[in-house]
Amino acid sequence: MFRNLLRSNSFAPVVRSSARTLATEASVPARLKTFQIYRWSPDTPEIEPKMQSYEVDLNKCGPMVLDAILKIKNEQDSTLTFRRSCREGICGSCAMNIGGTNTLACLCRIDTDTNKDLKIYPLPHMFIVRDLVPDLTHFYKQYKSIQPYLQRETHPADGRENLQSIEDRAKLDGLYECILCACCSTSCPSYWWNQQEYLGPAVLMQAYRWLIDSRDEAGKLRREMLQNSMSLYRCHTIMNCSRTCPKGLNPGKAIAEIKKQLAFD
Amino acid sequence: MLALSRVGLSSSRSLTTSFFKPVLIRGIKTIPQPPGHIVGTVNDAYIAPKPSKTHGSYHWTSERFVSVGLVPLVLTPLFTGTSTLLDSSLSALLLYHVYAGFQSCIIDYIPKRVYGSIHNYAMWLLTFGTGVAGYGLYEIETKEGGIASVISKVWKA
Repeated sequence: MFRNLLRSNSFAPVVRSSARTLATEASVPARLKTFQIYRWSPDTPEIEPKMQSYEVDLNKCGPMVLDAILKIKNEQDSTLTFRRSCREGICGSCAMNIGGTNTLACLCRIDTDTNKDLKIYPLPHMFIVRDLVPDLTHFYKQYKSIQPYLQRETHPADGRENLQSIEDRAKLDGLYECILCACCSTSCPSYWWNQQEYLGPAVLMQAYRWLIDSRDEAGKLRREMLQNSMSLYRCHTIMNCSRTCPKGLNPGKAIAEIKKQLAFD
Repeated sequence: MLALSRVGLSSSRSLTTSFFKPVLIRGIKTIPQPPGHIVGTVNDAYIAPKPSKTHGSYHWTSERFVSVGLVPLVLTPLFTGTSTLLDSSLSALLLYHVYAGFQSCIIDYIPKRVYGSIHNYAMWLLTFGTGVAGYGLYEIETKEGGIASVISKVWKA
């Protein structure tokens, strides 16, 4: 409608139309980028997992990898399966291995070099439900085991909030922001080999978050749970967790702090 | 019936892969793991192994002490020459350091959860090897004048 109005406008029609053709999509050469995406379907278990290629014109696509795979799902292949929700790095659903790094698809810019293919895999060393969807059941079971909730014997006298000083609250910064996307845990070789028993960086960072919370009174039990060779001490400070965290947190440091606490326990 | 009628399920893929497995691994029976690593129902929390400080913080702390203690023990002979006391404590700490390192490797790569008794055999083998190495170190200390002198001899040779 607006364009038709412009076209019917009589002000300098020649200049106007030439300027418009330059700005239209047709005049810009398509920037075709190839996305290679891991495909596997439980409906056809006899077919081995394979990489499927899709071409996306970057001029008609948003800047993030999630935009590209949504575009592929909308326009090319509706069977492509992945988790996504908030598209702004808050929910942690779209964690996947993009270009060899675990990250959130919604926070990962597409490399604009169209000569290189972008490979997208599900989170490494996890059981795969379908395509880019890993089975996180065991991860959540581990999270449940550290009892991620406030535990107290005593309650405030006025029957209202459990108060905390500003300094004590500041200790939780850099820990509470974790969205449990499992990027760090699934980047950890120790977690790959022993995830049945090793809790992994994401869950251990939350364990630390509750250990240093000044309002929590179950520290003794929390520390005792980690006193074995598997749950905590399979961490060999490989530090892939801190390198890969899409939220810029430092699970490696949190684990080191737990080890320090346990050493003086 | 549905599963049997699927194309490819009846093929002998598993047979060929087992054929190509390295000979050493083929003979080893591993403990089958629950699907998806899920023990109990999906809503049960993961159950940690029994708490034990000797396997947990004491082990870790002693490892750290030994690693930190090794630094001056390795550096001193380079500058001041060595003595029997210095040299034997260096070899003792080094022995424990190597023992703890291999112990970690065994826990990581031959976990009891999967390999059962083979894990125990590996641990016994490591203990035996450490014992042999300890006896060797004792021989070196008494007859060759300590590992520092052995290394300096090899260095000059």
